[in-house]
Amino acid sequence: MRGRGAKIAGVLPLFTLFMAGAISAFEDIERLRIWPLPAEVSHGGRRMYLSGDFKLVTERSKYEDTSGILKEGFDRMLGVVRLSHVVSGGRNSSRSGGSALLQGLHVIISSSTDELEYGADESYKLVVPSPEKPSYAHLEAKSVYGALHGLQTFSQLCHFNLKKKIIEILMTPWNITDQPRFSYRGLLIDTSRHYLPLPVIKNVIESMTYAKLNVLHWHIVDTQSFPLEIPSYPKLWNGAYSSSQRYTFDDAAEIVNYAQRRGIHVLAEIDVPGHALSWGKGYPSLWPSKNCQEPLDVSSNFTFKVIDGILSDFSKIFKFKFVHLGGDEVNTTCWSATPRIAQWLKKHRMSEEEAYQYFVLRAQKIALSHGYEIINWEETFNNFGSKLNPKTVVHNWLGTGVVERVTASGLRCIVSNQDKWYLDHIDAPWQGFYDNEPLQDIKDKKQQSLVLGGEVCMWGEHIDASDIEQTIWPRAAAAAERLWTPYAKLATNPDKVTTRLAHFRCLLNQRGVAAAPLVGGGRVVPLEPGSCLAQ
Amino acid sequence: MSPNLLLLLLILMFLSLSITSSLSSPSPADSPPYLWPLPAEFSFGNETLSVDPSVALIVAGNGGGSPIVRAAFERYMGMIFKHASGRASLLARIRFLRMVEYDITSLKIVVHSGSDELHLGVDESYTLMVSKKNEQSIVGAVTIEANTVYGALRGLETFSQLCAFDYLTKSVQIYKAPWYIQDKPRFQYRGLLIDTSRHYLPIDVIKQIIESMSFAKLNVLHWHIVDEQSFPLETPTYPNLWKGAYSRWERYTVEDASEIVRFAKMRGINVMPEVDVPGHAESWGTGYPDLWPSLSCREPLDVTKNFTFDVISGILADMRKIFPFELFHLGGDEVNTDCWKNTTHVKEWLQGRNFTTKDAYKYFVLRAQQIAISKNWTPVNWEETFSSFGKYLDPRTVVHNWLVSDICQKAVAKGFRCIFSNQGYWYLDHLDVPWDEVYNTEPLHGINETSHQKLVIGGEVCMWGETADTSVVLQTIWPRAAAAAERMWSTREAVSKGNITLTALPRLRYFRCLLNNRGVPAAPVDNFYARRPPSGPGSCYAQ
Repeated sequence: MRGRGAKIAGVLPLFTLFMAGAISAFEDIERLRIWPLPAEVSHGGRRMYLSGDFKLVTERSKYEDTSGILKEGFDRMLGVVRLSHVVSGGRNSSRSGGSALLQGLHVIISSSTDELEYGADESYKLVVPSPEKPSYAHLEAKSVYGALHGLQTFSQLCHFNLKKKIIEILMTPWNITDQPRFSYRGLLIDTSRHYLPLPVIKNVIESMTYAKLNVLHWHIVDTQSFPLEIPSYPKLWNGAYSSSQRYTFDDAAEIVNYAQRRGIHVLAEIDVPGHALSWGKGYPSLWPSKNCQEPLDVSSNFTFKVIDGILSDFSKIFKFKFVHLGGDEVNTTCWSATPRIAQWLKKHRMSEEEAYQYFVLRAQKIALSHGYEIINWEETFNNFGSKLNPKTVVHNWLGTGVVERVTASGLRCIVSNQDKWYLDHIDAPWQGFYDNEPLQDIKDKKQQSLVLGGEVCMWGEHIDASDIEQTIWPRAAAAAERLWTPYAKLATNPDKVTTRLAHFRCLLNQRGVAAAPLVGGGRVVPLEPGSCLAQ
Repeated sequence: MSPNLLLLLLILMFLSLSITSSLSSPSPADSPPYLWPLPAEFSFGNETLSVDPSVALIVAGNGGGSPIVRAAFERYMGMIFKHASGRASLLARIRFLRMVEYDITSLKIVVHSGSDELHLGVDESYTLMVSKKNEQSIVGAVTIEANTVYGALRGLETFSQLCAFDYLTKSVQIYKAPWYIQDKPRFQYRGLLIDTSRHYLPIDVIKQIIESMSFAKLNVLHWHIVDEQSFPLETPTYPNLWKGAYSRWERYTVEDASEIVRFAKMRGINVMPEVDVPGHAESWGTGYPDLWPSLSCREPLDVTKNFTFDVISGILADMRKIFPFELFHLGGDEVNTDCWKNTTHVKEWLQGRNFTTKDAYKYFVLRAQQIAISKNWTPVNWEETFSSFGKYLDPRTVVHNWLVSDICQKAVAKGFRCIFSNQGYWYLDHLDVPWDEVYNTEPLHGINETSHQKLVIGGEVCMWGETADTSVVLQTIWPRAAAAAERMWSTREAVSKGNITLTALPRLRYFRCLLNNRGVPAAPVDNFYARRPPSGPGSCYAQ
């Protein structure tokens, strides 16, 4: 109807001009239903269709795709686009007008490597249809990972036409130029408080790609359980909840590989010296004593040998440039309460606080020796910030003002203030996730550049395979737009984006992700019958 | 049975008898791996066998070559070998080069019948034998034998539950072999209702539900497609009907529905559609306002017009092309006939025929039944139709219980067949019914005559959708639906005797974790209220 009118060739340029004039209007952008909102978008008013054998073309691309990352990404994109309905009208779709038919997507990537490098160019440019080749859509990117983001955007332009029963794209021509505002856009999962089976972790990773998040922060181990195999210290995973709630070394490598093929880094964390009680199940000498089991024994060289073994094993599979060493919530009373350690402290003229610093810094050195840069929770900065290795990234969670102080001191920072970005706070509504500005009160350009980005945290005390997806989504998506979209394009009042976010949550549902309704806090259930779009 | 198989069977029976003195009552609580639902008969030994990640499928019998068998084999191999060092991975290949000998290298599936027609009462029985390959046994390893492909599917599910990944050897193991299992369901109808009118469920989600049903050996998806809130399904004969959908986004095309039926059939699951008339149908009038008694009084459907029955006939004709199952649900519950009394033209029509509103209700239901029967369908109706005018119902009617606890008892006494869904226990939207109450609910309670018992074709747990959308539907269904599934599959003796805290709870916890491991978000077993988050950190097996 709308598309049919616009198909008349003579009218097209005028119409396009008219639409181009209108796109500055906020309402029009909201109508686009793309999440997260791209940096620059313009569109027309013409309807096009995807051919039944819509294909990937890569002529003139420098990237050879020997690993198949692009091809797989393309197939996944088509898969989710076709998930909503059975496409049955494809055969004689040429009837709907040859010029309105898209035969495929032409992807041109200028970098030949598919190494997933932190901070590398994630930009892309998507034009539908291509001006030179009008029966193709056109996607250009520096790297294959930028192209994957472009594919995600493309998938959100596609809709199912209920009459013709084929996939259509409305409002062509599209011209989208896009890149993320922050290079670190993370989500934390916690497999110590509850074990998360492999398919569940993979589903989480897959869903992250829909919102263009790019770091899975894997809080593997904590007080409660140690699920991961560490070949150097094979008894560590005796600390797992049970013999089957474990990840083999190969499983972890598989998760990293699965994520990497989707452009997602995996940040591994061991949280030392607190949050490590489960280590001692396999090696009790890591505990200060049998009845005082946390933090790890600071006085014993064995403790640091184990950390060295773990990080050495990590370096074989976790290829991200960062490793997370935790360092939060360290209650050191076990150290002075254990005579052996109290003596050691005395001998080295250390207070408990100094021992805490000694531990963290020694762990940092070990990580550096394995080629990692370090991320530590903010308490390490708050207590002995000036002593931290300059390669440290401080991970905020507790207070406000930390980001300002960290960047003023020249260190880098990741924002996860718990009042807004802790997903386990289920009374925190999505509006707060949207509103949370990582650069709040940071005026200095240099300081701004030290804020790598942010991360929403899905702590696992009350989260298992049964409720993780609906606790993460849709609130993580609200934060994802904050981290992706240019500041100037973000809504100052989050309620203005409700319709578009509701649309994205329904899109997640359609892709099989159990994203919860928007109305209320996190993980709310629908209170009554109704449309997905209205709840 | 081939002579080879017979011989093997004898050897196996001899072996298992010699190993386990008590054949029928092992304590499941201390005998991993746990099976759910419990097979009718089984015996096991004390050996541990390793399973080759590239285990070969060998098929035999008229139905062995069915694509349903092949596809199921591939699905289950994916589930069994999901760890990274699993099937066909690099590591597995290296192991192979190292010439590691696995005990189980082949899986033989024998299907006697060449027909893959899926119907009510289709033979779902199977035998499953697992033994180490040795000089004495002619056929090594694992054999599943069934009369139909659907029996073979049930056997594959049981086989998959015997397999466990061993984290020390990094291989899949079967404990307590040799196994000999002879299994069949107690009831032929083991259903789950989903409701796509109160909340639209995307196709992918419906498929997740169907897939998960097959893990618990449920076999009927009762699809309550339409209700007063929305009409999501395309009906080519009356193309305005799906204007009653919530939005353009929240619709199923004919092809979508056919795909769901196909997907379900591949897993041995029938799809029974429901069109609930004359109440629960307000959304029909969004596309055809004539179906409402009036614009201000919209339910039940207008009983006076032939158009109403033309539309029903059109819907059923369209649906007949999609749904091959012989049962069709016509609803008929909760009919508030006030609109008929209060709308002038309907009132006049009633007076003209000397009808009470109750007569009109009966007239409506019986006329709809005749339409269904004319399309070669067996009508299923909610119990109010039986309690209001039972003796007029077509004798082929299957009465669907929900309200009154002894309605099946009454219905079968009158010779009707019955499906049990007592709302006090088997309505999954009732969140305050814990798993043990679901488990302890017996469809044959109070029905003692064998001829009457046979008329209870089974039961169904109902996932009404008022407060269940994509975000919570699976965790509201599971694990409680599994409790009902065992009640309907396993022998009455097995589910009725003993302390279920010992005989069932550990296995149910295990099954819930198995669902989680397969990506199904089944909620903790121990919470009193359904679909609540775990109360604190802990092991899946303890929550």
